[in-house]
Amino acid sequence: MKPEPIIVADGLTRRFGDRVAVDRVSIGIEDREILGLLGPNGAGKTTLIRMWTGIIAPSSGRASVAGMDPAEEPERLHEVIGLLTEAPGFYDRLSAERNLAYFAGFYPLRDAKQSVSDALARMGLTPRRRDRVGTFSRGMKQRLALARALVHEPRILFLDEPTAGLDPEAARALRREILDLRGDGRTIVLSTHNLTEAEALCGRVAVLRTRIIAVGEPKRLREASARPAVRLRIRHPGAEGLEAIRRLPFVRAADWDRAGDGGWIVDLTDAEADRPALAAAVIERGGELLEISEVRRTLEEVYLDLVQEGGG
Amino acid sequence: MIARIRNVMGKEWATMARSPSSLLFFGVIPLLLVGQALFLSWIIPRFVSPASLAGGPSVGEGVDGVERLRVLILSQFRFFILLIPAMVANVFATLSIVEEKLTRTLEPLLATPVRTWELLTGKVLSGAIPAVLITWGCAGLFLLLAGALGWGRSMVAVLSASWFLSLFLLTPAVSILSFLLGVIGSSRAADAKSAQNLAVLVVLPIFALIVVQVTGLVWFTPWLTVLLAAGIAGIDGLLVVLAVRLFARESIVVRWR
Repeated sequence: MKPEPIIVADGLTRRFGDRVAVDRVSIGIEDREILGLLGPNGAGKTTLIRMWTGIIAPSSGRASVAGMDPAEEPERLHEVIGLLTEAPGFYDRLSAERNLAYFAGFYPLRDAKQSVSDALARMGLTPRRRDRVGTFSRGMKQRLALARALVHEPRILFLDEPTAGLDPEAARALRREILDLRGDGRTIVLSTHNLTEAEALCGRVAVLRTRIIAVGEPKRLREASARPAVRLRIRHPGAEGLEAIRRLPFVRAADWDRAGDGGWIVDLTDAEADRPALAAAVIERGGELLEISEVRRTLEEVYLDLVQEGGG
Repeated sequence: MIARIRNVMGKEWATMARSPSSLLFFGVIPLLLVGQALFLSWIIPRFVSPASLAGGPSVGEGVDGVERLRVLILSQFRFFILLIPAMVANVFATLSIVEEKLTRTLEPLLATPVRTWELLTGKVLSGAIPAVLITWGCAGLFLLLAGALGWGRSMVAVLSASWFLSLFLLTPAVSILSFLLGVIGSSRAADAKSAQNLAVLVVLPIFALIVVQVTGLVWFTPWLTVLLAAGIAGIDGLLVVLAVRLFARESIVVRWR
């Protein structure tokens, strides 16, 4: 029997005046799963997280987290969830330790002091615990924010753009921490713009543009959206040759490979069956074919297509 | 519950203790007000004819016009001193809320199990308690200095039941009123300065109280003082309802600027 999802959105909708921020979102997230929420700015990722965490109420639909309705009992829910907000948000004049102690003071912890100390140690911030947060870099603040989200050892974590605005090194360090959390068996909802991050961390991703456009494992999503395309590398490729390729009956579209080294990307009706015919056609027209290979689409390309289609 | 309220208060005081400009404000402004009250009590009887005194408090047998005038001025200190809780509590409120907004700490705070009323109570008490204590401290200092200036006989006439009722009823009521107005103003303001503009709403009625009493329009007897305190407490109650609504999670995220 399939286990009950621990986080549920059932027709979840949120309107702000006439604007619909989240539109009939339905999804279930299983225990110990990491779900990535992908979407452009204004897609409703933060609003969806805020509804799941009981910070705002839905206009219609139902949410459930750990068997609780976030709008009905937010305070009880907050004892079992952790939220890393988009902006770290700390009292700059207070030390890292004092900041964490303040937030920890709202949870029913047996030994709050020890919990603060453990959370700081976990994020490698013990040596800076007495320093004012105002002196911290953005990366350190984000690590401290993750320590705050974990100070009460929640089963469920909501991470809203955890690596936004971080330099690559700090982002990589934070991603390592998130990977460790996955190892702890927590359920994590991660909203991000970073598709490589989503692919590396998430078991499933949901592409959101006020409503869910697609949901699935990153690999499956890529495969499902893959068009039959091949990359051609030709010595001295020219516009005339490209035009000739476009006129072939089994070619749906052809263009310059702008990301590659000057070859062409050709969409075929059937990438497997039509590939030999394409190669023959190039050679017949005097083209010197250097390489012909299948194009593996990145999650980014799939995402951009989905968002474009979803926005129309 | 109590632990969470104390947690909020502890954080507010720790933050304020690390703000030198706020500490300077809380230390200097109340002392200036005490000094100003004493100076006026000394200078006015020298330039204003006691004959112009109409009405006012009954001071007793054998008291000359100058002293009657001084008693009248000194007795206004019970209203004048209300400027201290009004300003201190308001500054506390605006700095507290505006800082939360500027540092964007409210959303992580809203993701903890703290309840709206616990957060609000902690914040109100963290502002109102120092405001009341500073005011009472200033009242004590005022009495000491008035005694040192040889105005002991005048002060005996000033220290009426109304004076103490003002100190122990009006001061807390005004502190809470000022703090709540600061909270409400701050929820819509982008910075502390614009939030503090609302402080005028509290300061102006205090000046009005002084004016009506000095001009003899109304003399605040103990009963009137109790009524006034009850009226302010009633307004406090209404403002608490409004502030609790403003402090609801959804309001903070959706409506606050």
